[in-house]
Amino acid sequence: MIPFEQLLVQAINGIVTGMILALVASGLTLIFGIMDVVNFAHGDLFMLGAYVGTTVFVTTGNFWLALLGACVTMAALGAALQITTLRPLLGRDPLTTILATFGISLVLQNYALWQYGPVPRKIMEPLTGHFQLFHIEYPWYRLLIAMLSGVIIGGLWLFMKYGTYGIWIRATTQDRLMASAMGIPVPRVHTGVFAIGAAMAAASGVLFAPLVGVNHAMGFDFTLRAFVVVVVGGMGNLGGSILASIFLSLLEAFASLWVSPAQAVIVSFIVLILTLLFRPTGLFVPTPK
Amino acid sequence: MLSLQDVHTYYGKSHVLHGVSLEVGPGEVVGLLGRNGVGKSTTLKTVMGLVRAADGRVVFDGRDLTGLAPHHVARLGIAWVPEDRRIFRLLTVMENLRTGLDRQGVTEPRRRELLDKVYASFPVLRERRHQAGGTLSGGEQQMLAIARAMTLEPKIILLDEPTEGLMPRMVAQIREIIDVLRRDGLAILLVEQNVPLTLEVCARVYIMEKGQVRYRGPAGELRANETIIHQYLGVSA
Amino acid sequence: MRTQRTGYWVGFVVVLGLLTVAPLVLPEFWRRFVTEILIWGLLAMSSDLLIGYTGMVSFGHSAFFGLGMYGTAAALLALGPPNLWLALSSGLVSAAVVAAFVAYFATRLRDIYFAITTLVFSQIFYVIIFTWTDMTGGENGLTFSQPPFSIPGLGSGRFTPVTLHWFVLGVVTLSYLGLRRITQSPFGMVLQSIRENEARTRAIGYHVERYKIVAVMLSGLFAGLAGVLYAIQNKFAAPDFVLFLVSGEAVIFNVMGGMGTLVGPVAGAAFFLLLREAFSRFFPEYYLIPVGVIFTLMVVFLPQGLLGFLRRRLNA
Repeated sequence: MIPFEQLLVQAINGIVTGMILALVASGLTLIFGIMDVVNFAHGDLFMLGAYVGTTVFVTTGNFWLALLGACVTMAALGAALQITTLRPLLGRDPLTTILATFGISLVLQNYALWQYGPVPRKIMEPLTGHFQLFHIEYPWYRLLIAMLSGVIIGGLWLFMKYGTYGIWIRATTQDRLMASAMGIPVPRVHTGVFAIGAAMAAASGVLFAPLVGVNHAMGFDFTLRAFVVVVVGGMGNLGGSILASIFLSLLEAFASLWVSPAQAVIVSFIVLILTLLFRPTGLFVPTPK
Repeated sequence: MLSLQDVHTYYGKSHVLHGVSLEVGPGEVVGLLGRNGVGKSTTLKTVMGLVRAADGRVVFDGRDLTGLAPHHVARLGIAWVPEDRRIFRLLTVMENLRTGLDRQGVTEPRRRELLDKVYASFPVLRERRHQAGGTLSGGEQQMLAIARAMTLEPKIILLDEPTEGLMPRMVAQIREIIDVLRRDGLAILLVEQNVPLTLEVCARVYIMEKGQVRYRGPAGELRANETIIHQYLGVSA
Repeated sequence: MRTQRTGYWVGFVVVLGLLTVAPLVLPEFWRRFVTEILIWGLLAMSSDLLIGYTGMVSFGHSAFFGLGMYGTAAALLALGPPNLWLALSSGLVSAAVVAAFVAYFATRLRDIYFAITTLVFSQIFYVIIFTWTDMTGGENGLTFSQPPFSIPGLGSGRFTPVTLHWFVLGVVTLSYLGLRRITQSPFGMVLQSIRENEARTRAIGYHVERYKIVAVMLSGLFAGLAGVLYAIQNKFAAPDFVLFLVSGEAVIFNVMGGMGTLVGPVAGAAFFLLLREAFSRFFPEYYLIPVGVIFTLMVVFLPQGLLGFLRRRLNA
């Protein structure tokens, strides 16, 4: 029998990873919901954000500045990418956006490899120390990650609900042409959303960095997981992807009590396949009649 | 103020507008009649920039609109109320109105003024202001669509079949609203299937057939001469 | 019409001739290079059947390719004296099984979901191959010796680099002709109709899912064949080839060369490999940066690829 403490630790680990994944996935689902773009490069924005974070951290020694710097830089990069590469593709076959973002992903991945080299980098967590959880020491930082992710996602939700820009985003997501006919500058809204998505990915990258060390391969893993989450949660459904992130991460965390973490990922894939077979609109979304 | 000059529009390979020319002067209410499928809605969409004119020009206030994106056209002072209303179903009534109110260059007091004005014309919208657009009845949605267009403070409103599917009581209400808009100095390009209503409110009327304007004249002429209507629309006035 | 067909066959014979003579006149390095282009070209063609003709983007071809490799390895290591034809069939069967599996699950899904699911499948297979160390050699893969070329009843002889090249050329040419036959058959026409307008094709009465499943299986088969050839040429099977990157490269060949032409993707493979060679002189590790940029620019500005203009001519 697995000791209760281990289960508890895994449960919390699952939630923590789930929150980071939720942060990555919400950006992805937002981008898909509003402009039907499957952003293959999302995980690379995550990875590059983490790298930029390391640079800022090395220069300033401050975690929070690293976080801010990464978000701002990646938002700018995201906007630039959207304007140059994705805007011309508006209205074309969705196949082309998958290919275009795939191309971007190649460039970003190898650029990171080139600029930063193959040796993993590190960011020190801002909060060291552990607290007592039953008989186990659990690091404070992990809790901080979960809370910060929650705060950022909460901020996004508020922004979408109350601000003018939030209304523009929601209107454009529902009916792009009518939004445009109401004077909403749709191209700018698209760019803005892409930038926000990129910034969120970057934030996740920096938050995640102290846990594992930053390397250029971390992106792909997260891209794949984020895709699974977005599909299971319902494409374009923000609440669904958050729930799915936590759900899948918990499953994987528990699975890794029996198999290696590399194999635990298969659990997520199984859920994906089941979802696609039986509830293709999303596990947490009521099936449309 | 608004003029279409020999406009040709295609949907893919389908040649829908075969050289449409028409004008709307400032403050004028002009009707556009015709059977289903002749290209009336397409004409409005071309003006709005939602569909691109392959040939010909659309000129507004001396400015060539051809090729402009819809949001630019809207900002120049043209508002569109589409055939299927296209309310943002998941936004509340208030948020729907805000898509127009929250423009650049509109001060907060002016926004409140506009909102009050809109609510005065459509009191039921004030009642339902926190309800999601999709929960409103057909008539209420039509009013919201028109109210939303009004928040843009346009110089001309493109109204596409506003009375379609509405009960007679609501049709009368629409008629009143058109009067209010006209009194405010707004020009209206009204596409309709409801001939009597059109002849009542419009000063001039165009009739389209197969992507072209086949008749243009004052509404009075049509009122006096029913055979023209029979000829193009095959219905009695 | 007559001159067009003659023109095509003349071109075909010329290219075939050049490729046959190539290993005799080129230095060792370039000889291998051309053989590799042929193999990757086969992979690209198999992918084109799905992407270019049926309109289904697949990121799962690495699974088919990889299983072709491992199937070959299994036959060469496990069964008696290494037999070329046994290895070939074993590789093909492995790929076909995987293809059937993927086809069953994935074909009922729309474009994006299909692409993601194929990606997920190739990842699953990677994980399985990587961790099932006993069977697959895990990280290190499997090595084996090259089987001799044998015709039952006539005897056998070992491959030389030149004869191996001719063998590969033969297989790839036959595959090309086979694929060409398929795409120009009524079956192929239905696939293209699915690409153009799936709803309408279904409305006319075609059982779209069945066609898609067959398309995936055929595509997987030829991709597996490419894997078999690669294994035979290089004498190893490695998990890296099951990785997503191989699938990605197949897609790149398709886009660069021109989807829906069969020859386009082969040209795309050649173009990509040449670019890689060229850029490797200047950026040894990071050739993918300029190549990635070129690829993205092509997606945006030259979506029909290098040979896309031939699409109509070739599929008349």
